[in-house]
Amino acid sequence: MFGLDFPPINEVIRWRDAFGNLNKIGMIAVLASGIAILIFLLASRYNANEAPKGVRNLAEMLVEFIEENIVMQTIGKDGLGWTPFLLSLFIFIYLCNLPGIIPIMQMPATGRMAIPLFLSVIVWVVYNAVGIKHQGFIGYFKGIMFPPGVPKPIYLLLTPIELVSTIIVRPFSLAIRLFANMLAGHMLLVTFALLSAAMFEAQTKKFLLVPMGILPMGMLIFLTVFEVLVGFLQAYIFTILTAVYIGGARHPEH
Amino acid sequence: MPTAIVTQLNGRIVHVRLVSSDSTDTTMPVEALEANAPMAAVEGEAHTEDKGPSPIAPEGKELIWGGGSFVVLLVLMRLVLFPKVKKGIETRYGNIRNNIDGATNVRADARTDVAAYESALVDVRAEASRRVDEARRTLDAERQVAITAVTARIAARKAEVDASNAAVRAAASADVSIAIASVATTATQIAVGRAPDAAVVSRAVEESLQLSGGQR
Repeated sequence: MFGLDFPPINEVIRWRDAFGNLNKIGMIAVLASGIAILIFLLASRYNANEAPKGVRNLAEMLVEFIEENIVMQTIGKDGLGWTPFLLSLFIFIYLCNLPGIIPIMQMPATGRMAIPLFLSVIVWVVYNAVGIKHQGFIGYFKGIMFPPGVPKPIYLLLTPIELVSTIIVRPFSLAIRLFANMLAGHMLLVTFALLSAAMFEAQTKKFLLVPMGILPMGMLIFLTVFEVLVGFLQAYIFTILTAVYIGGARHPEH
Repeated sequence: MPTAIVTQLNGRIVHVRLVSSDSTDTTMPVEALEANAPMAAVEGEAHTEDKGPSPIAPEGKELIWGGGSFVVLLVLMRLVLFPKVKKGIETRYGNIRNNIDGATNVRADARTDVAAYESALVDVRAEASRRVDEARRTLDAERQVAITAVTARIAARKAEVDASNAAVRAAASADVSIAIASVATTATQIAVGRAPDAAVVSRAVEESLQLSGGQR
């Protein structure tokens, strides 16, 4: 109807290499890591005895958010040693999500599969290692395959499900949840941006299409704001699930 | 013979790759393409469209850069950044806890002082009350003694006055009897021409006075 030529998804996510093989996704990841390091580097230079403000306040807020809302809620006090790992995960994912709504960048690094997959593999290695360390190899897999308090005939059904769920499905669900949400958000923004542009630049039926361009434009603005929330939420979900997996591996009775 | 791989977006050529069978591929931006357009046209080989990266499959370079960035962040966070920030938080919280403990101690001391003050106040009030009662009792006793003395003095004085009055009355009564007896004797003498017996007159006067006194 509008003669809208929507590019294939492959085109939307294609980014040329800038330096060597460093493309936009890599640059966002490097930038996210750099910003996180910079925030904490600046925060660590403040006088600790004074009331925190600015960057220090932000860093302390992040640390306490992870400790109070994630570690203490899922692992407990003895899991506070995992705060640096979970903090790194949360900040890195959030800063990789955020460029999806930043002009010029306009692409969440987690909207490509590489970073979510890498992080999921790390989480997978970590929680399995923690489980084996705390329960022993046999104890850990026994705990996974034969959860206590279940009637024995149910094990026929439950054991393969639990094994596949814990060992195979978990890392993929973590990776795909993050990747798919961010890519879907990015595609929505692209869709409404293209639709707005097409309607504002319509060559026919201008009297109808140009004013109606406000509608996708409004939706674009709404979704942009919504993506801020989604970016935070996905980082939080990934981090809290990681904490839940680690907590479960440490305390199987929970 | 190189093969040109042309990528189009909205009908516009955005990316061209020339791939030869015996060499690495060469990426050419659209500006360069426009400059070399006649050459590409001359080459005239089959155009194979590059579909771009798979939307699902991870790319190796992104894995390397993304993973490397995260690992660097994680290592620095674990070894340097987090311990420094956490140490700062704990130092400040320790100071705050110490200040709170100090304030709690000061408050406890103040409460102890207030309790001691209130206890002393109760003692002082009791002592004051005791002294007031004692003074009141002393005063009452002294007043009673004074009243008794004054009453006795009044009674003695009254007795004296009564005795004096009785004496005066008796003297006056004798004088009145003598005067009446004289008057009666004189009157009788004038009336009958001879003087009555003094003893009879005296007895009559006494009886008359007694009668009049009894009637009054």
